[in-house]
Amino acid sequence: MTITFKKDRAVFSDMAGGEDAEGLLEWLQKYPNGKMDLSACTHLHPANLQVVMAAKRQITTAPKDKQLAGWIASALKP
Amino acid sequence: MNPLLEQFLSESREALQGIGEKLMQLEKEPASTDLMIELFRYVHTLKGNSGLFDLPELTRVLHAGEDLMDAVRNGQVAYSSVLADRLLDAMDFVGMLCDEIETHERIDIKHVNDSVRLAETLRQLIGTPPPTEAPSPVSAPVEAPSAPSAVGNSGPPLPLADIPEETRLEAYRAGSLHWLAYSPVEECFFQGDDPFYQVRHTPGILWGSISARTAWPKLAELDPYSCVLDFTLLSSAPRDELEEYYRYVPDQIRITAVPAQFLILPQGDPNGGPVYEDFVADAIALLHAGNMAGLTRAARSMLELSNPDLWFSSALRWLLTAIECEPGNSVVQQTILASLRTLTPPVWHEIGDISDNGGASEAVNGTTVPSPAAIPVPLSPEMAAIIGAQREILSLPDSVGWQNGRIKGVAAALSGCLHATGAGGAIAGLEAALAKALDRESAAPLLLWLDGFFAPTVADTPDRPEQTAQSEQGDATDTAGQSSPTPVLPQPTYADVKFGRRAEDTFAGPKSIKVDQVKIDRLMNLIGEMVVAKNALPYLAGRAETVFGVRDLSREIKSQYAVINRIAEEMQDSIMQVRMMPVSFVFQRFPRLVRDISNKLGKEINLVLEGEETEADKNIVESLGDPLVHIVRNSLDHGIETPDVRKKCGKPAAGTLVIRASQESDRVVIEIRDDGKGIDPDVIKRKAYEKGVISEEQLERISDQDAVNLVFAAGFSTAEVVSDLSGRGVGMDVVRTAIEKVNGTIRLESEKGKGTRLSLSLPLSMAVSNVMIVESNRQIFGVPMDSVIETVRVPRADIRTIKKSLTTVLRGRIVPLKPLNSLLGLNVPPKANDEDELAVLVVNIGGEPAGIMVDDFHETVDIILKPMTGVLAGLSAYSGSALLGDGSVLMVLDIKEII
Repeated sequence: MTITFKKDRAVFSDMAGGEDAEGLLEWLQKYPNGKMDLSACTHLHPANLQVVMAAKRQITTAPKDKQLAGWIASALKP
Repeated sequence: MNPLLEQFLSESREALQGIGEKLMQLEKEPASTDLMIELFRYVHTLKGNSGLFDLPELTRVLHAGEDLMDAVRNGQVAYSSVLADRLLDAMDFVGMLCDEIETHERIDIKHVNDSVRLAETLRQLIGTPPPTEAPSPVSAPVEAPSAPSAVGNSGPPLPLADIPEETRLEAYRAGSLHWLAYSPVEECFFQGDDPFYQVRHTPGILWGSISARTAWPKLAELDPYSCVLDFTLLSSAPRDELEEYYRYVPDQIRITAVPAQFLILPQGDPNGGPVYEDFVADAIALLHAGNMAGLTRAARSMLELSNPDLWFSSALRWLLTAIECEPGNSVVQQTILASLRTLTPPVWHEIGDISDNGGASEAVNGTTVPSPAAIPVPLSPEMAAIIGAQREILSLPDSVGWQNGRIKGVAAALSGCLHATGAGGAIAGLEAALAKALDRESAAPLLLWLDGFFAPTVADTPDRPEQTAQSEQGDATDTAGQSSPTPVLPQPTYADVKFGRRAEDTFAGPKSIKVDQVKIDRLMNLIGEMVVAKNALPYLAGRAETVFGVRDLSREIKSQYAVINRIAEEMQDSIMQVRMMPVSFVFQRFPRLVRDISNKLGKEINLVLEGEETEADKNIVESLGDPLVHIVRNSLDHGIETPDVRKKCGKPAAGTLVIRASQESDRVVIEIRDDGKGIDPDVIKRKAYEKGVISEEQLERISDQDAVNLVFAAGFSTAEVVSDLSGRGVGMDVVRTAIEKVNGTIRLESEKGKGTRLSLSLPLSMAVSNVMIVESNRQIFGVPMDSVIETVRVPRADIRTIKKSLTTVLRGRIVPLKPLNSLLGLNVPPKANDEDELAVLVVNIGGEPAGIMVDDFHETVDIILKPMTGVLAGLSAYSGSALLGDGSVLMVLDIKEII
C-alpha cells in the first residue's frame, strides 16, 4: 500500500497504484472530514486521481514533485 | 532479427495467403460456413500472434478484421464483395507491414493513420461503433474543439490563456508547438493503461492540465475505474514524435499545431495611464524605422519602471520576447503595440480572420475549416523557397510609399504558387486577404494568411476527415447498416489508396521454402545411389589396366573419378545440411515438462539448457525426443530429492538439471546431468539379483560402474512404487534401445549422493556409414567403423585357451577371441596367413574390447546402409545391407548381436 490511512488524513507516498483507489474511496466515505497529504507522492494512478478530484477534500500538502503538483492543481481547479 | 519474429513473419505470410485464397473461394460460394470459419481462424491466429510483438498498427487492423469475421461467422453480418474488398485491403496492408518489419524490424509511425482508417472501415461493416470508441469518448474529442468555435471569434479557440505566462514565454521561444487533447476511453484502466503517466512523460511537454468530462457524482456512486478524465497539454516536440508516442491510441488523441504567436496573450492588471500612449507612439515609430535596438531599449526601460503585475508589463515582456525571437516579423510586434494602445489582448485569430476562407485560425479551432483552404500542400523545395521569400517581403516594415505595390506583387506570386500546386481553390482566401491588406495599407493580413496556409503545415490530418465528413454527410449512406455512426467517421475519401501486393506488383519471395520431407528423402536416396555408382569408377579403372591393359585410359578414368567424387561429396554434404535441424526442436518441450513434473512432485528444479543450437540430422533429433523425456522424468522422479532432504544434505533446496548438447567431431553428444542423490550400486545389485537380471556369481563380481549400468537392462526397476511418472521398469531399457537404433551409445555415471550424469552420443547423420570390409570363409562382411578399435595379426602361438574360450594378451590386457565363422554358425576354422598369424579385428562391446578372428581385412568404404526388410528383417545378426561399387552386396554385421 502506498496510501497510509491515519486518523484524519490519507498519506500518499511514492506511486499510488490503481488498486489503491478502492481503499481510498472507502476511507473518504467513512471519514467525511478526512484530508489528503500528497507531499511524498511521485505519481498516482488516474483512478486515484479521479477519487481525489471527486472528493473535493482539502489537500494538506501538495506533492513535492513540482510537475505532479502542477497537474493536480489543474485537475482540482474549480 | 530474433527467431520468434522470423517465424511470425513466415507464418503471417502463409496466413495472409490462406486468407486471400479463402476469400476467393468465398466469392464463389458465399454461403459456406466452413470457409467462413476457416477464414476466421486465420485472422484470429494472425491477430493473436501479432500481439506477442510491439506492433500496434498491425494488431489494430487484425483485431478489427477478427471482430468482423466473428460477426460474419455468427451470421450477424452477411458476406459481401465489399467485405471481401476491405478485408483484402486490410490484408494487403498487413502484408506491407510485414515486409517493412522484415527490412526495418519495426513499423514506421506514418502507418498509424492508415491502420486506424482500415480498422474503422472494417468495423463499419459490423455496424457497431468500435469498442475503443464508446460514444462518450468519441463525442468528447470531436466536440470539445468545436465548442470554442461556437462561441464565435470573440474568445480564443484554445484555452491558451490558462497557461501561465512564464510557460507561454518559454513555449513561444520553443517555436513549433502542438496542442494535444487526449481523451482516454472509459475502460482504459482495465487494459492496463495509465494515461496520466503517459501524458506526464509526453516528449517536449511544456504544460498540461486535467479536466473531467462529466460532473463528479457523489462518492458513493463514483466508479473510480471508469476513466472520465481529459488531458490537454502543450508540447514542443515535433508532430511525428508525438504520434509515435501515442501510437497505441491514435483514435483518442488530437494533435493540433499552434502557431507560436497565439501564445502572445498579455495578462495582468489593466490599470493604465496616458503615459503609455507616448511610449506606444514612440515604439511604433521606432518599429517603422526598423530600429530594433532602440525599440528594445525603450521597452526595457519602460518595463523597469512599471509594476510587473500590470497588464502593460506583461505585454512589454511579450514584445521583448517577440523582438528577441522573431526580429524580422514586424507584424507580430506591430500587433502587440496595437494591443498596448488599446489595452486589449491581441486577437490573433481575428487578424487571421481577414480572410474568410482559410487562415491561421482554422488551424487552431480545427472544425470550421471550409473545404479547400486547409488542405496541406506538399511543397517542393523550390516552392518553399519562393514562399519563404514572400514571407520575408511581407515582414519588412510597412511604412514605405510603395507598400501597396509590394503587397500586390506578393499576392501575385502567391497566386501563381497556388495554381502551380493545384490549390487554386484557395485563391479566394488569398484575394480576400489582399483586399484587407490593401485597405489597411499593411502587410499583416496577407502575412497571417500566408502563415496560416503554408507555413507550419498547420492543417493537420486528424482535422481533415471531419471536414470532409461534414461535407459528405449527405452521401454517407453507402455504408449500409451504419445506423447512426457516432458523430463523424472519416469516410474513405482515400479509397483509392492501396497497399501494394497486387498481382502486378513485384513480389519479393520469402527466403525459405517448405518442402515435403519425402522429397528430401528421395534426394537423399538418389545421392546415395550416386555415391555407389561413383564408387564403380575405380573398379572400372582397375579393369582397364589389368584386363584390357590400357594404362592411360585407367589414369584418365581415375582423374575423372576424382572430379565426380568431389562433386558428389559436396552434393551429399549440402543435402545433409538441408536435413540438419537444431536440437532445440527437442529441447523446447523441457521447460514446460520440468515445470509441470516438479510442481507435481513438490520439488524445486532449475533447468539449464545449453547448446540448443547444435545441429544434427532430422531423424536423429527426432529420435532423441522420447528417450530424453524418459531420462528427464527419471532424473526428476528418482534423482533430485525434495527440498527438505536436500537441505539436510547441505545442498541448495533447488536441484539443478542440466541438458547440454555439443558436437564432437562427427557426433552429437547430449549430456543430462543432475545434482540429485545419484544411484546406489548396492541397491541396484540387490534388485538386479532379485529380478533375476544377474546371477549370484555375477552379483559377487560386478563392479560398481557395471552395476549402475544395469539400469539399462530390460525389466529393471528399483522403485518400490510404480508412479505415473516412472518406475515401470521399461524406461531405461527403452531409452537404450531407441538410442542404439540410430547408432548411438549411452553412458551412465553416477556418484551416490552427488548426482547422475548420462551422456548420449549420436551420429550427426545416419545417412552414410563408414564400414570396414572383412573377409571370412570367402565371403565379405561389413563392420561399422564406430565399433572397430584396431586390427591386429596375432601369431597362433600367442592364442591361449582358457576354459574353452580363446584369448590372447594385447598390450597387457586379456582379450577374448571369437572366430567370426563360428559366430555365424559356419564350421570352418579361421585361415592364417603365410607367417601363421591370424587376423583379429578388435571391437568395442559395451566399453570392453573383444577380438573377432577373420580371414583377412579389406578397405573401409562409405555406404548407404539399408535396413533389412521382409523375412530378412528377423535376422538380428545383420544391421543391414549395402551395395558396393562393383555391384556386389555387402552384409553389415551387428557386432553387439552376434557376440
